[in-house]
Amino acid sequence: MKKIIFGIAFIIFFSFLIVSAINMRTFGEPTFSEMDDYFIENAQSETGANNVVTSIVFDYRGFDTLGEATVLFTAVVGVVALFRGVKK
Amino acid sequence: MKEMSRIVRTVTNFVYGFIIIFGFYIIVHGHLTPGGGFQGGAVVGSAFALLLVSYGSLNSKKFLKKDIFSLFENFGLILFIVLGFSGLGITFFYNFLANSGGWFGNTAVIGVNPGNMNTGGVIPLMNIAVGLEVLSAFGVIVLTMASAAEFTKKKENS
Amino acid sequence: MSSFVEIIHISTLVMMIIASFLAVVFKKLLPSIVALSVASLLLSLEFYLLHAPDVAIAEAAIGAGLTMAIFIFAIRGTR
Repeated sequence: MKKIIFGIAFIIFFSFLIVSAINMRTFGEPTFSEMDDYFIENAQSETGANNVVTSIVFDYRGFDTLGEATVLFTAVVGVVALFRGVKK
Repeated sequence: MKEMSRIVRTVTNFVYGFIIIFGFYIIVHGHLTPGGGFQGGAVVGSAFALLLVSYGSLNSKKFLKKDIFSLFENFGLILFIVLGFSGLGITFFYNFLANSGGWFGNTAVIGVNPGNMNTGGVIPLMNIAVGLEVLSAFGVIVLTMASAAEFTKKKENS
Repeated sequence: MSSFVEIIHISTLVMMIIASFLAVVFKKLLPSIVALSVASLLLSLEFYLLHAPDVAIAEAAIGAGLTMAIFIFAIRGTR
């Protein structure tokens, strides 16, 4: 019984994957968006950095990077607290 | 953990300085070339992992200190948050140094150009802060796991 | 020119599948870890071919460097 339920669930999940893979747009043609054009046009003059990716990561989306740094800090705190009984 | 063979240690002596310098190059040039704080910090952290694997955790304790790493990590995170808050006159994370003429304040040339080191506003400082934080975070994780593996092995053998 | 790039893409992906298969099949633990690291390095090469050098640097440093070091520590601890 359990095998039949798992099989049906697997077939449904896999059919969703296949349908989404068929409906995907062709390779190398992303969606057109006004946001990309704005970044490409104005990032160099507004932030002064040549690397547009870095200016998005640290300037336009700086709050996201703060969350990433906090996640890494929490991971380090977790590892040190997990192995706190280890002698030097 | 025991140290590895003499061939591995000799190659490590030749290579690890270049890997660390390459990582700091990626961090400092983050606003001109591909890369940034996270990528450069990961490269320097892999150099620390190479030192730990080849020399063993007992010998590496002489030149890799956990307290210094955690001090640098706190310093990097606090510097990042302070830089985020210091643009608070306009918005959070406002780039208050860009195009101002002061530190990192030159105006960038529009178009394809080799780049000027003195541009970018607050972005190079944030790159250095995040790079310092990621570097010491990976150092702490690798160092702690190496000494934990050493500890469990000694405990099971005794 | 385009077909040359396609041949490099396809060969990289095929070598990745072979390396991942070898990582499962190997009996000894250390060669299995080396095969996993080779698969991660080829994934980084694939990211570089798709014009994403940032992700390629991060993948090569973390996937092929730090993960392999932590797995080696785990194996040394159990033996």
